[in-house]
Amino acid sequence: MLKAGKAVKVSIYIAEGATYHGVPVYSSILDFLFYRGVAGATVLKGMAGFGADHRMHSATLVDISDQLPLKIEFVESREKVDELLGKLEEMAGSGMIELQETTVAKPASVPAKPKEDDHPAHLKIEGKALMMRIYISEQDKWQSKALHLALVEAMRANDIAGVTVYRGILGYGAHHRVHHERTLSLSHDASIMLSAVDSEERIRAFLPIVEQMVEEGLVVLSDVDVIKYAYRARTVEEHPPTDSGQTSA
Amino acid sequence: MKEQFQARMLRVHFGERDTFHEKPLYEAIVSKCKDLGIAGAIVFRGIEGYGTSTRIRHSSHWTLSRDAPIMLSIIDTKEHIDGLLPHLSEMVNEGLIAMSDVEVIRYVRQDDVRPKGA
Repeated sequence: MLKAGKAVKVSIYIAEGATYHGVPVYSSILDFLFYRGVAGATVLKGMAGFGADHRMHSATLVDISDQLPLKIEFVESREKVDELLGKLEEMAGSGMIELQETTVAKPASVPAKPKEDDHPAHLKIEGKALMMRIYISEQDKWQSKALHLALVEAMRANDIAGVTVYRGILGYGAHHRVHHERTLSLSHDASIMLSAVDSEERIRAFLPIVEQMVEEGLVVLSDVDVIKYAYRARTVEEHPPTDSGQTSA
Repeated sequence: MKEQFQARMLRVHFGERDTFHEKPLYEAIVSKCKDLGIAGAIVFRGIEGYGTSTRIRHSSHWTLSRDAPIMLSIIDTKEHIDGLLPHLSEMVNEGLIAMSDVEVIRYVRQDDVRPKGA
């Protein structure tokens, strides 16, 4: 790995069409540098130029030239360059190789691979967990937004593992007003239930927010056993214990 | 206003086509709950499922004669739920009743405070 400090910059000037054992020179040099562990290399394509043969090579539309000048650049430590130079000279053929003393101010760093479990906090909630059900009406509002939508957003912002909103087809609550789903009306006054599962502390930490947002409604908490929580596969299965009768959410 | 108490949650599972005295069973149960002064009841329609009869129930938009799975959720104090249970066992011929203890937080608007469980 290249370190900051003194180094050598190598520039190899070749023609695009030049070959080495039947393969374009730039590509065989690049492969060579790659497999010999050079920190990095770049192939630059020239617009126009001339070389030892004093013939002008340029990119014009009428003349599709395969003889454009190419420049391969890489920066390595002096020892590494000395080690590679012999072979490079052979491969470059009629091309030119230039060495230049240089200073690496900052070596490039390999971006760290994102870790498998580099995901927001709620990774493992298998085992004992708390299920929170919130019963509200579809018409409830929070800051002129539908309350159930606002609650889902709030839960997301607070890293609650997941939430599902259910719309009831019939129901009544605190006011004994019956919320009825009528197929032919566009009424949006159904009973709504939100069901969220997360660790006890996370759910309890979220309760003050629920309290702020829900003016009227019911929050029901129950203990559940989370059997599987797989966020990668985008499926959350929750099988509450059968002995407490939690057959479905 | 906020009140917090231990309560019971009942969930009754049956089919949309189930009836009681020629009325959809879920409507019958909801009105029974109202009569008994149960705090609240809510009916959900599932999109697919199967139950005691191992008949696959579907909720299809294309048929009017759907028989989707129904889940009725009722929450109240233990006493109220105990009072409801005999009625439920009379009304539900085929289905499942599940019960669990829950912790309830109830938010009530300041201006219309009602007695608990009413």
